[in-house]
Amino acid sequence: MSVVGFRTDDTDLQGTMEDEEGYENITVFSGLQQWLLPDVRKLQNRLRTSSTSEGDLMSALVVAIQQIDTATTGKTGNPLKFKRRIVVVTDGRGAMDIGDLEHIQNKIKDSSAPIQLTLLGVDFDDSENGYKEEDKDDHKRKNEETLKEFVEDCDGVFGSLAEAVEQLQIPRIKEVKPTPSYRGTLSLGDARTYDATISIDVERYPCTMIAKPPSASSFVTRTDLAGTQSSATVTGEDDPMNGELSAVRNQRVYQVENPDEPGQKMNVEADELERGYEYGRTAVHISESDANVVNIETSPGLELLGFLDATKFDRYLPMSRSNYIVPQKSNVQAKLALSSFIHALWEADCYAVARLVTKENKPPLIVLLVPRIEPEIEVLVEVELPFEEDMRRYKFPPLDKKLTVSGKTITEHKDLPSDELMQSMSDYVDAMDLSTFDRDDDGEPAEYAKMEDAYSPLLHRVNQMIRWRATHADPSLPLPDPSPILTKYANPPAELIQRTKDQLAALKKAADVKKVPPKAKGRGKRSRAEREKPLSGLDVDELLGNQKRIKIDSTNLIPSFKQTLAATDELEAIQEAADAMGTEIRNLIRNSVADSAYNRALEAMRVMRDEITELEEPEIWNVFVTDLKKELLGKELGGDRREMWWKIRGNKYGLVDRKRCFASAVSEEQAAEFYRGA
Amino acid sequence: MAADWQNNRPGGEEDDDDEEIDDTSYKAIKDAILFAIDVSSSMLERPAPSDDKRAERDSPVSAALECAYQLMQQRIISNPKDMMGILLFGTEQSDLKDSDNTFQNCYLLSDLDIPCARDVKQLRDLLENEDEAAKILKPSKERVAISTVLFCANQIFTTKAPNFSSRRLFLVTDNDYPVNVKQDKDTAITRARDLYDLGCTIDLFPISHQDHLFDRTKFYDDLVYPTSPSDPDAPIAVPSTTKIAKSGDGISLLKQLLSSINSRAAPRRALFSLPFEIGPDLRIGVKGFILIKRQEHVKSCNVWVGGEKPQIVTASTTHMADDTARVVEKGELRKAYKFGGDSITFSPEEFVQIRQCFGEPIIRIIGFKPLSSLPIWANVGKASFIYPSEADFVGSTRVFSALQQKLLKSRKMALSWFIARKNAAPVLAAIIPGEERVDESGEQTMPPGLWIVPLPFADDIRQCPEHKHEPTSTPELTDKMRVIMEQLQLPKGVYEPNKYPNPDLQWFYKILQAMALEEEIPEKVDDKTVPKYRQIEKRAAPYIIEYGEQFELDLAKVNHSSTSILPSRGKTGAKRPKTDGDDDEPKPKKRIKKEGGDGHNDDDVITDEQMAKMCSSGTVQKQSVAVLKSYLKAKGLSTAGKKADLVDRVQDQFLDD
Repeated sequence: MSVVGFRTDDTDLQGTMEDEEGYENITVFSGLQQWLLPDVRKLQNRLRTSSTSEGDLMSALVVAIQQIDTATTGKTGNPLKFKRRIVVVTDGRGAMDIGDLEHIQNKIKDSSAPIQLTLLGVDFDDSENGYKEEDKDDHKRKNEETLKEFVEDCDGVFGSLAEAVEQLQIPRIKEVKPTPSYRGTLSLGDARTYDATISIDVERYPCTMIAKPPSASSFVTRTDLAGTQSSATVTGEDDPMNGELSAVRNQRVYQVENPDEPGQKMNVEADELERGYEYGRTAVHISESDANVVNIETSPGLELLGFLDATKFDRYLPMSRSNYIVPQKSNVQAKLALSSFIHALWEADCYAVARLVTKENKPPLIVLLVPRIEPEIEVLVEVELPFEEDMRRYKFPPLDKKLTVSGKTITEHKDLPSDELMQSMSDYVDAMDLSTFDRDDDGEPAEYAKMEDAYSPLLHRVNQMIRWRATHADPSLPLPDPSPILTKYANPPAELIQRTKDQLAALKKAADVKKVPPKAKGRGKRSRAEREKPLSGLDVDELLGNQKRIKIDSTNLIPSFKQTLAATDELEAIQEAADAMGTEIRNLIRNSVADSAYNRALEAMRVMRDEITELEEPEIWNVFVTDLKKELLGKELGGDRREMWWKIRGNKYGLVDRKRCFASAVSEEQAAEFYRGA
Repeated sequence: MAADWQNNRPGGEEDDDDEEIDDTSYKAIKDAILFAIDVSSSMLERPAPSDDKRAERDSPVSAALECAYQLMQQRIISNPKDMMGILLFGTEQSDLKDSDNTFQNCYLLSDLDIPCARDVKQLRDLLENEDEAAKILKPSKERVAISTVLFCANQIFTTKAPNFSSRRLFLVTDNDYPVNVKQDKDTAITRARDLYDLGCTIDLFPISHQDHLFDRTKFYDDLVYPTSPSDPDAPIAVPSTTKIAKSGDGISLLKQLLSSINSRAAPRRALFSLPFEIGPDLRIGVKGFILIKRQEHVKSCNVWVGGEKPQIVTASTTHMADDTARVVEKGELRKAYKFGGDSITFSPEEFVQIRQCFGEPIIRIIGFKPLSSLPIWANVGKASFIYPSEADFVGSTRVFSALQQKLLKSRKMALSWFIARKNAAPVLAAIIPGEERVDESGEQTMPPGLWIVPLPFADDIRQCPEHKHEPTSTPELTDKMRVIMEQLQLPKGVYEPNKYPNPDLQWFYKILQAMALEEEIPEKVDDKTVPKYRQIEKRAAPYIIEYGEQFELDLAKVNHSSTSILPSRGKTGAKRPKTDGDDDEPKPKKRIKKEGGDGHNDDDVITDEQMAKMCSSGTVQKQSVAVLKSYLKAKGLSTAGKKADLVDRVQDQFLDD
């Protein structure tokens, strides 16, 4: 790319033309080159509104043509394989020498090295968008006409800048060259054993593939550049990003349980390591030479297993992105055979199930083959289906009836919709139909929110922000909001909402959904959720009797703690239970061989923290955990217990703050601060 | 080569950052199961010998052990981080694997832990070696108090799996009233309560005998609690209509036990819990679950071989600044994008702002369409299952139910804007209804609910590579193909995943188990995904021949009318026996790859043969990186690294052959 300005204050052709005459007030900002970010920034600085109106568009065009010509002509004088494009941006007010148009035209249309010309006019009349500049002076009008004619003669594109800016908002879709992931046969039957078999040469290409936003890499701010040094390294205003960051390298440390000292870890060298797998907690070592023993031996192929009824297929089963299966290129037999296969599936309303091995010794997949016939497309689509192991058989109660413990079926229940709710839901769903909501170019009803119309919001958001930041280096500028085209489908179309107001109101009334109120605030009444009862409904607490004080039992720590709290609501008793619990937690840590009892202590802490918070006495916990931190870091609990502290930090079992419990005096910042240190 | 070996898995090429976050939080819900098996004389009794092939042969105890054995192997595959243990009670011997003898007549067969090869082996030996079994499986004279067993389980869970969020005691017994006096019952109830408060569930697997029906109400209903205490996010259990396994009738006790256990597959925590906006200002609560997910086998790990026996290595990573080799804390790391040769940075706050500018996590319906506007090709990954929750909105279930029923009835889908988590990319998703399915015995095979199917964006849809359509099928040819398809319908015309175990996964664990137990390595793969060739031959052979004849006719017409001269293709008989003359078989195939030069395709990718030639002649180094890459890519191999690496990799291909 290069940039040529005309009607600039100065003239600088950078030697493009032999003679400057006729090319006054034209500046070549750069030669044809690959553009990097610093170049963009440099250009930004150099593009200044000029104070002259001298400078000829046509001359600039000639300069541009000359540039392209020079750069894309090979040593032997042959035009190289390039796409040549010139984009002219003008308001059409300058003076033009139109004497040489035909010559320029011929050059542009030169069949051996054609140039695509695009002219973007500022405030040009645009009948399509209905724009017309009022009070246009004759000179401009005449220029517009001349230019339009000229561009059309060059087979170029003539548009307005407004249009172009608008187009820029529409995300660009990156096209990817299709590469096949399988080339082989689609076959029915075993040709090695039987005569009656079919095999068709096919290729497999991606049909859908998630386009991902660019990924960021990790850096760290350079520390050796502090103070005075930085001015030397950072290359000034236009390049604030570079130089301050240093790449990050990852270093890996390998540890194993020390066989001589149980519970202790020891470091081992990377060259003492070999490959293996875990079978349960057993390490199975597989030497490099045996590496393939665990891999199944397969040979490539797409082999049909059978056919199924399309109407009975569960649409939620496919678990992968989709692929196209197409006949091998230029293979008439394959085309005819695959076509018959696609048509037969289509007509019979069937799908095929097949076993796919894409490469030798790749694991087999079960795939679904589905015909897709559209005006321009006739193809087989393939998606992966789950194996037995991929299905998780969790059970959920029925939604249209209730079963009682005794096995009876109930059809009226608060969890079951009433007839009124069913009816209003039905009306609402029908009213909110999108399949005919949009209008196509001819004004006919069309589907709203087609997949081809929706752009990946995050992908384009990240790209837009990178581009934005590249040209807006000032870190204090707030990031702009995502462009509206990315959030177009975040909500139902406003017009449709308006149209379905009544149906929605009826639905809301019939639904009668109530938000569960946040927990009632107010200290003093410790209203705890009622204790769960066993299946029989027996009141176990009553059975346990009204024991006012249950001793915290170290062999039954958590249950006895919970039961103590359940039996009382006196602050003193709670404090006492918490103290006893605290003592046991400290004992666990103190007596722990290395980290062996840490998990138990952590679990006890979790329970204690949750229960005390529930009782709205966060202070009791906060005092305990503050002390515990001090003791852990002060090596008061049997030596170096820093690892225990890291675990507490990792599990976030620190102070209970105001956000978590309104009764707490600890702010969120204080709670965050608590995790720092050591 | 090591890299290849590691990546030789399906789907390995597409790893999604978001997806990975999902899975780790999902897997973190660890499950510990302790089997407690009642070893009493009635539990050890074998059914009377019978001529009926299907008659029961196992005693309840051995059925329970067999069941535990199968579950253990299964869980090593499906839940490699989960624990399992087996406690026998009522045994003459007492052994809790520690010197403690508090718990008389309790025998800890395998300790609660992630199973190791030895556990599997020991259990199998016990099942296979009757003498060995008789030594351990010997009932005590005094009956052990059930409260002791419960407290014993309490201790095991407390010490071995202190912070597991799911802990379950699988109690297998045929005694529905295991106490003598009320006081014992009260103690047992208290101990059950302790377990509940500890966060453990008791799952009862009662066994009835022919002459005695197990009655849960007599005793156990006071001990068993309806819901899981510790995990409010677990799927709601179907009202417990636990089938009572009957000893000695038709279906084997083992099968009943297994199906009973499988129906209580470890409750996994919900993937997300989100507001579901049906319309403006109308929100209900739903929870999302993953019911379909590719089960992969464990990744290879590093093993330290410097010691007596191989040990698993834990690796930790530290970040270092490249310039100063200074160790860097995570908080210091900055993320930057490469753009136009420059690094573009954002502050952590800005990063959040970039990603999270689309609003809070939600599932928001923006309208409805007929199900037909969701073609199969519009698929980018697995669907998630959603089910209503009353936790945040009272009335969610009935509204959800009304929506699900309406969508089912009208065959419609909802189009929705879906942000699964705070940092997740927003997607458009189709919400489709799922109908409840039950098998013959009334067990649920598919739950009722809604499925979220993420849709591709315009950016994710690839163009179909251009291929000329001509020639297309003729009606006659299509009809012949249809006949073949009709002959080869799958049972009931549906795909049943449970008929197709993943052969790769099965093979992998079979080998790994054999290696772990130091046994002989099996030779044959039992692959249920291989087509049933004999059946295809039996059912469809004549129709395939008819199709072949029609194909030749139509092909002749095509060739006649088209001006292009087809390269002459001998009916390649490389793998085809005899009968070349009669055209019983269309062979639109062409096994022998053409030598380069006829240019019918392959202008971008070099054929194997060409490459083999280059490798042997040593000209492979002269190929451009692009050529090497496209070749490797077509082979499904990595295209990473320098040119020398690529050349190596290409050459490896031919060495392997």
